[in-house]
Amino acid sequence: MTLQARDLFLTLSSVPLLRHLDLTVAPGEVTTILGPNGAGKSTLLRCLVGEQFPSEGQVLLNHRLVHDWRPVERARVLSVLPQQSLLDFPFTAAEVVMLGRTPHATGLVHDREIVAAALDMVDGGYLAERYYTQLSGGEKQRVHLARVLAQIWEPCCEGDRYLVLDEPTSSFDLAHQQLTLEIVREFADRGVGVLMVVHDLNLAARCADQLVLMQCGEIVAAGAPLEVLQPAAIRRVFEVDVDVGVHPRTGKPLVIS
Amino acid sequence: MRPLAPCSLMWILSLLILPVMLAALMMGPVFIQPQRLLEVPGQLLGLSAERLSQDGLILNAIRMPRVMLAALVGVCLATGGTAMQGLFRNPLADPSLIGVSSGASAGASCAIVFGGALFKAGSVFGLPLVALGAFAGGFLAVILVYRLATSATGTSVATMLLAGIAISALAGAINSLFSFFADDEMLRRISLWQMGSLDAANWLRVWIAALATGLLLLFLPREGRALNALLLGESEARHLGVPVEQVKQRLILLTAMGVGVSVAVAGTIAFVGLIVPHIVRLLIGPDHRYLIPASAMAGAILLVVADAFARVVVAPAELPAGILTALLGAPFFFFLLARRPALSGGRP
Repeated sequence: MTLQARDLFLTLSSVPLLRHLDLTVAPGEVTTILGPNGAGKSTLLRCLVGEQFPSEGQVLLNHRLVHDWRPVERARVLSVLPQQSLLDFPFTAAEVVMLGRTPHATGLVHDREIVAAALDMVDGGYLAERYYTQLSGGEKQRVHLARVLAQIWEPCCEGDRYLVLDEPTSSFDLAHQQLTLEIVREFADRGVGVLMVVHDLNLAARCADQLVLMQCGEIVAAGAPLEVLQPAAIRRVFEVDVDVGVHPRTGKPLVIS
Repeated sequence: MRPLAPCSLMWILSLLILPVMLAALMMGPVFIQPQRLLEVPGQLLGLSAERLSQDGLILNAIRMPRVMLAALVGVCLATGGTAMQGLFRNPLADPSLIGVSSGASAGASCAIVFGGALFKAGSVFGLPLVALGAFAGGFLAVILVYRLATSATGTSVATMLLAGIAISALAGAINSLFSFFADDEMLRRISLWQMGSLDAANWLRVWIAALATGLLLLFLPREGRALNALLLGESEARHLGVPVEQVKQRLILLTAMGVGVSVAVAGTIAFVGLIVPHIVRLLIGPDHRYLIPASAMAGAILLVVADAFARVVVAPAELPAGILTALLGAPFFFFLLARRPALSGGRP
């Protein structure tokens, strides 16, 4: 089972935003989207998670059209972290993470264990009783990460699970960027299909099984990081001259601008 | 930590509500001794040989419907306010935002000015024409606001806010127009009605308000989890499996019904819908699964108390309860506004 976009085409106010895209997010793999601002990355995510109807083409979630799912069943297999949240009410961090259990009916005791584990995973155990409104930007983002992790923490009968993250590391310090990569990898190892947008090429190179390079609503390259991150491709897409070496420790490509 | 655990507050409120209502039964231009309260139910049910005393008559015909109506209207306004604050994701929202109060005012004025000419009796099926006009006006305003804010992509809460302002302005203008053409006696009735008062309470109104309150308390608490998820934003709520459009429809319908009925039976009573959920949230936090029932009880208590004071402060005359809640509520609102940064950023 997969999360799959087939021949996706989208125009809004007669501006083409996505042009005949095909993309498959496989369970157990990390798929990372790279591209300059306005390349259509977030638009693609919004189509994939059913927030936006494509003009043409279709999105299949576990072989069913993403719009045909009952909302609550879809929420059990598809968890989405937006770039920013509007939340402005004084929930505690643990209560915010508990919101991730909304689509489940697994009982309060069990949910509390999941919430505590998810907060610990994002290095937020100490935040549990603090008010969300009093946290720093990075702490808030970590709490939301814990929330979307808690949402798909366990396998469920609706099929393979998917985690969609839109720039999850944008407000994180170095240590928490690394932590995010480890979390993403662990969830992939548990059989979750991960799709994320990041801006840091090296971060993308380190964690991705499949790297997707987007430009002007099109996928210009897709594949293993080593194949995709070529100096010529990066120059064409980002209009920046770079050298690509090899990371001495991980063996992954290392982009030096 | 929060000042109170949700369960503690619910216990406190549920233990308070009956004594407060009993105390309110005693208060008024005629003070009724506590022991008389115990005799009257027996007299009413015919268990006691005595005939209904004067105190019994006052209790049965005036005080009991009045206190119960105050409690029911308090529940409607407070839970409606809770729903709107959650829906608009704004702790300073109020049920009148969706146009129900101003629409009801216009409807009531219309009924006062034209009603007498059309129906000699001034009532239909025993319901005063003014109440019917108010309910119709309030509901019509909400439907207009909802239609204006709804497009093919769903209902926009931001547009609804603006549409609510526009419809309120329109209803206000219509209201002024009726006032302009009204004669002196009508004018007095219009302005008294707008102050909001429970002095017209009778058993029929109690039953109508009880029906609306019953529906509200039956269906609104089911939206608790959905309202919590909605605080994250609509698209996040959708990703958490909440059928957002249906939830919005139900919330608006329930609020319009509850507030519409309470405005119809008691006029516009200000600030209860704003303050009660706000205070309760300060005490137990924003979880709607507790916020809705706790606000319902707190709203009932607040309005019963305010109405009891309205009956005694200038006895033997009485103040409209709406004036009292506004007099108490407005300064509190200023206080909240002044502390707004601290409230959203660093509470408590």
